[in-house]
Amino acid sequence: MRTHSRSSAGSGRQSAFFHPALFYGTEDEYLDGVGTFVQGALDDGRPVLVAVPGPRLPLLRDALDGDRRHVTWVDMTQAGRNPGRILSMLQEFADRHETAHAPASIVGEPIWVGRTPAEAREATRHEALINLAFQGRPVSILCPYDTALPGDVLAQAHRTHPVVGDPAAYRASPRYADPHDVCRDCDTPLPEPRDPVVVPFGELDLARTRDEADRWAAAAGLTPDRRTDWLLAVSEATSNSVRHGGGSGTLRMWRAGDGLVAEIGDRGRLTDPLTGRRRPDPRSPAGGRGVWIMHQLCDLVEIRTTAQGLVVRLHMGPG
Amino acid sequence: MAVMPGATAPPDRVPAAGRHAGVVFSDDREWAGHLCAFVRGGLERDEQVQYFADTTDPGRVLRTLTDAGIDAAAAVTRGQLSVSTAAQTYLAGAGFDPDEMIGLWYDALEAALARGHRGLRAIGEMAWGARDTAGADRLLEYELRIHHEVFARLPLTAWCFYDRRLLPDAQVRVLAGAHLSHRGETVADPALRVAPLAGRPGLLMSGSAGYDTRDTVAAAAAAVRGAPAQRMELDLSALRHLDAASLAALADAAAGRPGGPSLRIRQAPPSLRRLLELFPELGAAVEVVDR
Repeated sequence: MRTHSRSSAGSGRQSAFFHPALFYGTEDEYLDGVGTFVQGALDDGRPVLVAVPGPRLPLLRDALDGDRRHVTWVDMTQAGRNPGRILSMLQEFADRHETAHAPASIVGEPIWVGRTPAEAREATRHEALINLAFQGRPVSILCPYDTALPGDVLAQAHRTHPVVGDPAAYRASPRYADPHDVCRDCDTPLPEPRDPVVVPFGELDLARTRDEADRWAAAAGLTPDRRTDWLLAVSEATSNSVRHGGGSGTLRMWRAGDGLVAEIGDRGRLTDPLTGRRRPDPRSPAGGRGVWIMHQLCDLVEIRTTAQGLVVRLHMGPG
Repeated sequence: MAVMPGATAPPDRVPAAGRHAGVVFSDDREWAGHLCAFVRGGLERDEQVQYFADTTDPGRVLRTLTDAGIDAAAAVTRGQLSVSTAAQTYLAGAGFDPDEMIGLWYDALEAALARGHRGLRAIGEMAWGARDTAGADRLLEYELRIHHEVFARLPLTAWCFYDRRLLPDAQVRVLAGAHLSHRGETVADPALRVAPLAGRPGLLMSGSAGYDTRDTVAAAAAAVRGAPAQRMELDLSALRHLDAASLAALADAAAGRPGGPSLRIRQAPPSLRRLLELFPELGAAVEVVDR
């Protein structure tokens, strides 16, 4: 076990918003970069959340031996399965645990080798949104990037992080970009499905549409538990079409790999990119309740504003 | 759907579920048939009979009874039969108010018994519920509450007249569905049906609850909030789906009841349990049980 260097840049003890990308190639570099950050935060009494892929957790726990009890550990492949729900988790952690003297320090690794291009794109959007959501808050969020990731993913990390580096040194990212621009670049056209089931709906058809979505998913073999999630998500999305999307919409459903996709299209728009990225008041329809629920329940949510209106794609894996 | 046991049994032997019926019709002949059968049965059993018209001229009610061979004039003279309008009576105030209305039934029953009648039976034309009458949005809450708050306690028989020419079908389905007895034309179940539980204070919800059924859920929530019973029960065994807004409305209503968690939810659909995982704060005022 090597000793962690304590360069102030990498120690997670900044007093302003600090959102570095850490590029690592080896396990040692990972332990050095993440370990230094976490240890520094613990030394300062800051609440620490470590959300990284499950296999990394035991490594880090061992490295932080004595202090690990003071860290909240999360398997990102579960909690962050859908990149669209990670930001809510980070904000909730910061809101709950930070104090005036001890702001939160977070390690968030949203992209790992094996993420699909669509997931990586939404995770990149999440990284950009971190800069908006925590603007002006003295939170530190270190994002490790495996240098084995595809080049375009690594290139985006330079655009979504104000600071980049490796365990040796962090520096301002010359390629850092406005989060809104990054989000726009993530709004790539979605591939057209083959032979989807098409269900147009208005307010009076909502119940029938829910029943149809449930029946179709059952026939497609979705397990009961996942069907509950599917139906709740489709219900929220179709409700939003009626409430915000011009009073009606079109539901399309198809199989993708061993999972299912539901797409809800309407004439609406989504102007705030942070909609649904913060835990809402369940009693209030304002504040992105529906989109937040979709993010919690689905494995991937893709939202696009097109010339025709808003398109929401809900991906549901087999479970 | 339960079928009314028939107007021939004495009201005190007819269970509450049989004494509050939703009557659905769509022409004058059907209307007259229900009217005459109901009034004749009441007069024969020495009950006081009251007709609360909405759009029908009271004179026409009396003429229709007379034409059917019922001595309506004599019944009016001896105070056993009255025909008035909702606008002159229970809608005369600021608007329709279920609590006030429930109080009026107690007063009316007391008056009928004091006059020596064996009970009270009433017909109400409900078409005002489809107009912008003040308080019309509380009609469903009222229909859901009176089973336990009125019919289970008083020898009252009431038929609620739903004329399909005057109320939209979607509304008739929901309102007729809130009755445990049905007469006249059969109507399809609405997307979300709410009815009182027959044996204990509570509601049965069946179908699928979402944004489209928010008014029905709001009425159910109001009935949960307003019911004086110590414990209310929601039977969701026939509910296929419930969305977050519906659960929030019901949970808030439960939280608004005095004296701690007093809403027991039975046989909830999986969506309700999943929503409680996402929003644990909604579970504070409800008790979810499997059976």
